[in-house]
Amino acid sequence: MKLIEALEITRRAATEPVGKTIFLACGFTPLHLSAFLSAELLLRNPTGRPQVKSGVFGDLVGTLERFERQGIDALVVIVEWADIDPRLAVRSLGGWRVSQMHGITSSAHDSIARLQGAIVRASAKVPTVVCMPSLPLPPMFTALQTEASLSEAQLRFAVATLAERLVREPGLRIVNSQYLDDTSPLAERYDLKSDLFSGFPFTLRHASAVGKVLAVLIDPPVRKKGLITDLDDTLWAGIVGDDGIDGISWDLEHKSQMHGLYQQILASLASSGVLIGVASKNDPTTVKSAFERRKLILTENDIFPFEVHWSRKSDSVARILQSWNIAPDSVVFVDDSPMEVAEVQAAFPDMECIVFPTGDDRAIWDLFLHLRRLFGKSAVTEEDRLRAGSIRQGQAWKETENAPSDRADTFLKSAEARITFRTKAAADGRAFELLNKTNQFNLNGKRFTEAEWRNLLEDSGTFLITVSYEDKFGPLGKIAVIIGRTVERQVRVNSWVMSCRAFSRRIEFQCLRHLFDVFKAEEIVFDYEMTPRNTPVREFLATLLSGPPVPGSRLTVHDFSAKAPVLFHLIEEDVHV
Amino acid sequence: MSERDLRLLRCFASVFPELSAEELRAVTNDSAGHWDSLSTVTLAALVQEEFNIEIEPEMIQQLNSFEAFRTHLQKADSDRSSSR
Repeated sequence: MKLIEALEITRRAATEPVGKTIFLACGFTPLHLSAFLSAELLLRNPTGRPQVKSGVFGDLVGTLERFERQGIDALVVIVEWADIDPRLAVRSLGGWRVSQMHGITSSAHDSIARLQGAIVRASAKVPTVVCMPSLPLPPMFTALQTEASLSEAQLRFAVATLAERLVREPGLRIVNSQYLDDTSPLAERYDLKSDLFSGFPFTLRHASAVGKVLAVLIDPPVRKKGLITDLDDTLWAGIVGDDGIDGISWDLEHKSQMHGLYQQILASLASSGVLIGVASKNDPTTVKSAFERRKLILTENDIFPFEVHWSRKSDSVARILQSWNIAPDSVVFVDDSPMEVAEVQAAFPDMECIVFPTGDDRAIWDLFLHLRRLFGKSAVTEEDRLRAGSIRQGQAWKETENAPSDRADTFLKSAEARITFRTKAAADGRAFELLNKTNQFNLNGKRFTEAEWRNLLEDSGTFLITVSYEDKFGPLGKIAVIIGRTVERQVRVNSWVMSCRAFSRRIEFQCLRHLFDVFKAEEIVFDYEMTPRNTPVREFLATLLSGPPVPGSRLTVHDFSAKAPVLFHLIEEDVHV
Repeated sequence: MSERDLRLLRCFASVFPELSAEELRAVTNDSAGHWDSLSTVTLAALVQEEFNIEIEPEMIQQLNSFEAFRTHLQKADSDRSSSR
């Protein structure tokens, strides 16, 4: 992005309401970096005009130590070499003698320790993004430019150690230096003239690249949830029906290594909670044998469901979506046949459908990078690891939905289900994620920023209950979150979400019973709002109320007791509200 | 108005969005209330990027009006032509 474009984007949004307020902490004058950051945030969210505030220039640690979260939605920290030791930049003349190198490296260790403490403390207050030094070091070392000196290696090690420590902190994101290297070449980052004249050391190109990556980390894209892949000439090279089970390959020997790497990427995605399904026009027995006899990197256990037959691909995709219970826009479809891709795309216009570029290694590599962008996730939770398994065993539960009530009761009773209710003390990233990505069983569609979430956790007047579930088929992990307030013997539910994986188990009834019991409530008021996708919550509430829910619908304990079905769950709790 | 003047006007408009085109053409660092050191640095950066030229730091201080930038660009153009 050019600077003029950034300024014009910001100017056009001048009348929009204020969106996020970002505190940009850096040791230099942020000048154009603020403009690029604002513009990139606006491109991601055009309806909220971001405000970028900054602290005292030349004193990064001091700025961080004085940082107050009041009114700030996110903190951005730009660390540069000058913040580690002023002698590592050109605006100081502290000396580059050999005798001074030891002093520089040891003072760098002290500065980094102080910086680490300040960043960690600030990041406990608001979501924080950190960009580690991205400018080249000045020509201060006696070694040839082509050779790494001990002092330089020590400085880089100290900075890498800082990044390694910070990346462990929850609520703190670090800019990926490899990504920045790709988008902003090192030799084109430093503007010496601008640094000397105005104290802004970044070239416009580098400021633009940094602004973009910061905006992505402040406002990350919505992650896709599932990937449906073809098999022949996609997951492996060859046509299993024609070439036979031993004729397919995914290795160097057969010049089909890229298919092996594709399997490796999908296996990695599966292990991070992405749902992987197969849609293939093939003989199901042959495919089953291929998975049994050949040792694929992506195993049968990583995949659910398999749709292998000769019907249309769009029919297979529809069935997979039904099994997963997720919307087409959360799914990616990959197939080597442009015709199949076009057919699925026509049936599901909101789905991202990609032609697997068989034979073009570079294009396949680019596809891997694209898949990482679509499915990128900061941290993998226990629930992510459980997701595929729980969807697989969810089929048995779905069958109870339309079964006669006595048969459903028998099944539910035999499931040995346990529900655990926990207070906000146990709330974690998973609870936050559930609130922000659940669409179907969602009381009102309200989303939370990280700053709102942190405020909520500190608000003593608000209760927050997380719900975990397990039965004899296995654990589902944390699957629901309820937020609300109590006034005397009334509970007001402000937000309530439940994962679609947990449907059909009467968990939602148990949640309400729990609220009545734990708060000794006489009625529950729901801050219900209809959204385009929350039909399941609407239908559920309608079974308990005298009609479809409306904002402020009330449910008395008497009505609940009269209408709720028999519940068989064993309850565990650590709720002290 | 030449294409170069239009591009320069666009640079000025992005720094002083409250001014009309007529006002921008007449603007100086005395006449515009918001023309501060940040505006000078931003204008210099915009013009360098837009016209792919380098402005020396000592020259930036002298670029204190639309007309001054215009003259500087004219000179840069003629210097470039004569060096070919």
